[in-house]
Amino acid sequence: VLVLVRSPLPRLRALLQRCWGRLERGLWPGVFGGQSPPWGPALAVQGPALVPQGINDAGESSAEAPSLLESIVWMAAPKQRRTIEVNRCRRRNPRKLIEIKRNIDVCPECGNLKQKHVLCGYCYAKVKEETRLIRMEIHKKEGGPFNAPTVETVVLYEGEKPTEEDEGKRIIERARKRPSWFVQN
Amino acid sequence: MRLSVVAAISHGRVYRRLGLGPRSRLDLLRNLVTALVRHERIETPWARADEMRGYAERLIDYAKRGDKDERAMRMADFWLTEKDLIHKLFKVLAPRFQPHPGSYTRLLQIPNRDGLDRAKMAVIELKGNPLPPLVRPRRASDKTLLNQLLKGYRQDAQQAAASRGTPV
Repeated sequence: VLVLVRSPLPRLRALLQRCWGRLERGLWPGVFGGQSPPWGPALAVQGPALVPQGINDAGESSAEAPSLLESIVWMAAPKQRRTIEVNRCRRRNPRKLIEIKRNIDVCPECGNLKQKHVLCGYCYAKVKEETRLIRMEIHKKEGGPFNAPTVETVVLYEGEKPTEEDEGKRIIERARKRPSWFVQN
Repeated sequence: MRLSVVAAISHGRVYRRLGLGPRSRLDLLRNLVTALVRHERIETPWARADEMRGYAERLIDYAKRGDKDERAMRMADFWLTEKDLIHKLFKVLAPRFQPHPGSYTRLLQIPNRDGLDRAKMAVIELKGNPLPPLVRPRRASDKTLLNQLLKGYRQDAQQAAASRGTPV
């Protein structure tokens, strides 16, 4: 414990000297909270620790260590090395292998592979691109945000005229030939 | 009664837990419903699309009642955050689906998302939308081997029946 004293006034100095004297003589026991003051023996002494605090520490640490050791003793550990045969059985058990998919088919439109219950990736990409271009045309026609029309919409390609069904509908023009997979109703 | 264990088991629970909490889940689904009504075809994770489907179809059922109905208007006001879509709902979608008794949406699974999460994605669309179709209905071809064999068997059976019929 470092105590810094910066040239105190005479009265303060006298007070400090009195307090220090009381501490050294043990007449002020409440200062360190019931523990002994933190200074050890003045000379280096060989033999068991003379400071009572030192004995308490040793006792506490030796009391703590057995509890750790006791808890370690109860932990599980393998008794024998697992042989490679046993290891192989565990690693190659059908439960651990990747299961093979039997629901893969050929898409009848484009010939790519697809899962039976999923849409074909190639065909969906085609449709997605076309819808993106149609939506760009819609955006150009609407002008700004929040201008959704109150009539149906119909998409017409190059050289097509609206039929009698498309009477009151909003017409979206696409500047290309109609794709074969987009049948006009 | 051990209420804590009952809370941990989820047997029979029908609502998924999405977002940050129940209110967040409803906001998420509300955004998706608004997007569906605006764009008529959206691509989202499958769980969200499945959860949203019921709400979208019930909203259309409410819209079919007509815009004079107070409850229908309040529902549309809550579920559609963009208010120009309320007009679209009552003037375009309600007449479009008036002849149909139910199932106004189509939910199809698409290949998993390309990002790190490889999420199960789906595309949900309103039927009768003006966009290009996702799946073309295929009629069974008469030229496949099985259909040709069945056709031959049918013809043989008819001939046998005719030849047994005429002598009698």
